[in-house]
Amino acid sequence: MWLNNVVAGLTPGATYAIVGVLLTLMSQLTRVVNFAQVAVGMFGGYISLTLVTKMHLPIFVGVIGGILVAALLSALLGWIIATWLAEASTSARSAVTVAALLFLISLAFILFGYRNQPFPTLVAGPMFTLPGGAVVSKVTVLVIGLAIVITVGSWAFLKFTAFGVKLRAVSDRQMAAELLGINVKMLNVSVWSITGAIAGLTVALVGPTASNDYVTVSTLVIPGAAAALVGAFKRMDLALVGGLAIGAIQGLFSGFPNLLIVRDWVPIIFIILFLLWNQRKEVWDVAR
Amino acid sequence: MTLKLNDVTVSRGVGPVISNVTLEVTPGEVTTVVGPNGAGKTSLLESLSGVIGISGGSIELDGVDISKMSRRRRSHAGLAHVQQGRMIFPSLTVKENLQLTASTKADMDGALALFPELEKRLDSATVLLSGGEQQMVVLARAFAAKPKYLLLDEMSLGLAPVVFLRLIPIIEQIAKTGVGVLLVEQFAHLALKIASDSLVITSGHVSYHGPADALLKDPDLLKKAYLG
Ligand SMILES: Nc1ncnc2c1ncn2[C@@H]1O[C@H](COP(=O)(O)OP(=O)(O)OP(=O)(O)O)[C@@H](O)[C@H]1O
Ligand SMILES: [Mg+2]
Repeated sequence: MWLNNVVAGLTPGATYAIVGVLLTLMSQLTRVVNFAQVAVGMFGGYISLTLVTKMHLPIFVGVIGGILVAALLSALLGWIIATWLAEASTSARSAVTVAALLFLISLAFILFGYRNQPFPTLVAGPMFTLPGGAVVSKVTVLVIGLAIVITVGSWAFLKFTAFGVKLRAVSDRQMAAELLGINVKMLNVSVWSITGAIAGLTVALVGPTASNDYVTVSTLVIPGAAAALVGAFKRMDLALVGGLAIGAIQGLFSGFPNLLIVRDWVPIIFIILFLLWNQRKEVWDVAR
Repeated sequence: MTLKLNDVTVSRGVGPVISNVTLEVTPGEVTTVVGPNGAGKTSLLESLSGVIGISGGSIELDGVDISKMSRRRRSHAGLAHVQQGRMIFPSLTVKENLQLTASTKADMDGALALFPELEKRLDSATVLLSGGEQQMVVLARAFAAKPKYLLLDEMSLGLAPVVFLRLIPIIEQIAKTGVGVLLVEQFAHLALKIASDSLVITSGHVSYHGPADALLKDPDLLKKAYLG
């Protein structure tokens, strides 16, 4: 019974993990806490919905179209920030993404209407059953797999490719990198577009499994941020584990009807715990 | 074919920190700039590489006005700026630091030929190297970019004089390959010894401009120039 609930929490958990990893990458490589990280994916999701239902295109064409739009939107936002806020503080750069988040939600209401339609389903059905009888769906396996692939893939890309080495150099010292002739803006915009595309893909996969209204999907960035905080916005592996843990704990709570209300607070509790933990360290440092 | 500053003025916050500086860096030679703390030496180099803009005058690289170009384009035009402080990329290995500019094996070998001692540290995290070794990485990395003009800002900062003594002949050697070097230094004597032309800057103004020999031979001249 409880295992069933934990397993049910793994799909949202893996989604938080992916968002957490994306937020970690963005913060490390482009100096921004991207509050619009999922909103671009949400927008892409509704574009694919429109392509499939209104224009009667095949699902996979619609999904690819949606992913492209998410990547383009993200790239545009990144370009704006890299052009006009190149040397601004992280908080100023992040504030722009809050504006983008609100803008994308209202634009979605205007373009796609007030009545939400379900997303087209990409994958459905069970993958296997655990000994205790808990059913693991295909989507769960896919999303967890995607989270792991993104984490390991990003790590390997940053470590082993010339492009990745340049990204790390920019992350260390942007000015020194520019003085070496590295195209910081182009690198930044590529990171934005790739994380935007991944957000689009993630929404396409998990969108059909849950409530997919504009606000609910876009604010997945909050549990995602809680996951990123587990890795202090620095470590993708911890963000991955953090996201899965938050999802599993939420799943566990949903098994107890009187604890249901606590469930939505789990990410917030994670965030508060992290802040307290950080505070404690700072106080300790000062005391020293 | 020179790097030329015509009547350059640089303003920062309160007002001009460099006023009407004119100077010329010749390929194959070292031009040394000395001056007291806060004189504006770093600001001068920063205006050349585009870290900050100029508010008057012009900067020409081999006849092309570069004063409006982005930092990246100035770098591609042949400028390399080694900033004050130890400008390694700490999360990169020594090899990765060098690979940022050394795109071919020949470039890498050329960079390592300057400092063979780096060879066995290639896979170390650069942050674990000693201060002197870190400056070697930075200098080798700038050299591998094959610049026409190399701007060096107080490479000696925080280094023991013996360690800096190791760098001086390498700077001279880089100049001999045809690179124009603009060297800003605290250790005036060491820096003037390898220079042909020299400037003393005080409070943003040029208080001496002439052969480095003259400053070396006449300590009074140097003292007077420092007083402005
Ligand atoms: N970022 C900045 N903003 C405003 N003023 C600055 C800035 N950096 C330097 N200055 C001022 O510009 C003047 C020149 O500083 P600069 O660093 O160019 O001198 P310097 O000759 O390189 O000194 P040092 O030998 O200490 O490195 C100083 O008065 C300094 O206070
Ligand atoms: Mg200085």
